[in-house]
Amino acid sequence: MSSRSFGPPIIVTDRLEKVYPGGTKAVAGVSVEVRAGEIFGFLGPNGAGKSTTVGILTTLLRPSGGRATVDGLDVVDHAAEVRRRIGLVFQESTSDDQLTGRENLELTAALYDVPPADAGPRIDRLLEAMSLSAVQHRLVKTYSGGMRRRLELAAGVLHTPKVLFLDEPTLGLDPQGRAGIGEVVRRMRDEFGVTVFLTTHYLDEADQLCDRIAIIDHGEIKALGTPSELKEKVGGDVLTIVPQRPDVDLVPIVSALPGVVGVQRVESGYRVKTLRGEALTPRVVQACHDAGAPVASVALKRPSLDEVFLEFTGRAYREDEGPGATEMALRMNQFRGRRR
Amino acid sequence: MTLRAYRALTVRELKRWIRTPTAIAASIMTPFFYLLLFGQAFNLGKLIPSGPTPETLIAFQGAPDYYSYFSAGMVIFVVVFSTLFIGANVIFDKRLGYVKKLTVAPVSRVVILGASVSAGVLRCLLFGGLVIALALGFAHLPGLAGLTVTAAIGPLGVAEIAVAMALLATAFTSLFVALGYVLEQVEAYFALVNLVNLPLLFSSTAIAPSTLMPDWLKTIASGNPITLAVNVLRENLFPWSGYYPYPPELYLGVLAAFAIAMVGLCTAVTVRALNPR
Repeated sequence: MSSRSFGPPIIVTDRLEKVYPGGTKAVAGVSVEVRAGEIFGFLGPNGAGKSTTVGILTTLLRPSGGRATVDGLDVVDHAAEVRRRIGLVFQESTSDDQLTGRENLELTAALYDVPPADAGPRIDRLLEAMSLSAVQHRLVKTYSGGMRRRLELAAGVLHTPKVLFLDEPTLGLDPQGRAGIGEVVRRMRDEFGVTVFLTTHYLDEADQLCDRIAIIDHGEIKALGTPSELKEKVGGDVLTIVPQRPDVDLVPIVSALPGVVGVQRVESGYRVKTLRGEALTPRVVQACHDAGAPVASVALKRPSLDEVFLEFTGRAYREDEGPGATEMALRMNQFRGRRR
Repeated sequence: MTLRAYRALTVRELKRWIRTPTAIAASIMTPFFYLLLFGQAFNLGKLIPSGPTPETLIAFQGAPDYYSYFSAGMVIFVVVFSTLFIGANVIFDKRLGYVKKLTVAPVSRVVILGASVSAGVLRCLLFGGLVIALALGFAHLPGLAGLTVTAAIGPLGVAEIAVAMALLATAFTSLFVALGYVLEQVEAYFALVNLVNLPLLFSSTAIAPSTLMPDWLKTIASGNPITLAVNVLRENLFPWSGYYPYPPELYLGVLAAFAIAMVGLCTAVTVRALNPR
């Protein structure tokens, strides 16, 4: 992923600040540069300042301090031009559920003044890409949560924006739906060359999708880098293997494998630290087998959000978030999806 | 570009409306009940034992009977009543996230407001027309009072009536759409709407003849926009030299000024509400 070459900076924020009327400082001096063609992720718990930052970058909120530019245009002074250049997919559905999927896209085409001759074929292509062709003439109120989200994504790129903002694009979706969205986002970048700025509080999502991640907490960037850089700092994946024969010492054999950071003998087996758990697992199993100690069980543990947070923020993930804010958001989303 | 967005947004409003048949049925039933139940029961004309007299003619502003007088008022009442729900739709649109889509789109906020207002005005005209048709039809049904028109009304008269309805609808639709963009709670919205609507309706001559009003109320009623619009209807439907001091065009002029002022005020409020904070 990091081997990809990216263009010049397309989103630049300089000591961006946002203080809400109540005195809450949601964003406290955020400075980042996102390069053209990059998939950039903002990772943090609810209330960390992710959505506020996206709000400022998309001209929905006015910064209290600092400045931000998108495609070289100041988001405050040139809001209208910025709006033309960006696409935005919110946490919630913004489609009109009394219109069909296709009608919603046609409305978006009119709002963004997509040339009428282009709009039809482009809508066809996007519906196809989002696997929505079959349901395009159904009212959106009959759509599942995943279908709605894919429709939002289609609407977000219909006017071929330079930057696509995704605010928690997979919140409230089932694992299948989440995987589908991830695939679609990558395709958008690869096929349409759009820069993607997304927020998430799922570490695995950021890991799989993003070229670079910024960890944000209390309105401040705590860490910034590629997923592997960040994981490296936390310590990477932990592979726990239990061999069938405990008498063979596997430490030297496993340590010698490329990609292994460290091997530690524990009660019934070994803890193997690595940055690339999935790729290493079969090789470890093979090596143990070759050494005459076939593996009885393997468990791969990836660094969780808690660990990353602990590492970079010095506190546990959900400490001061109130009672299960994430679950609340999830439930509300499911409720919204179920309502007919 | 602007025109295209405006048209698309207006069509969206109308589609949304057409696709909620229960809401349409409910909004049709309201005027129907007023005309069929309330109007028939509250028929003040029946209190007069010997038919129309010069006094009743004055009281009913030239209308041949109370029900005809009442029907013209009911047209305007239904027009104003139909504007109420438009602001509530805006609040629902905000909750659904649809308004967010609009605010990030490169579309002028004036276009967004304009589309909501246009769709609202169209609905109001439709309902106003429906009330006239129902009231006229009732006159031909046995056992029912109905609207009797005492003039040979021409295209100009019809146009004046339509313009009066449209101007009043424009003023109130803008007001309620703006309220919808400012307020977050549907409950607060309806509380405020009633605070505007009921006093306006009761201090007009839509239902009650001004001859029944105390002097202070009569003064208020004469400047009330609902009264102005009703006057345009009644003067065209029941022209009678004994009552109207001014031609309908004058009432229309004042109504137009009122509508323009409301649109201006509400545009400013809506733009403020939709701009980044």
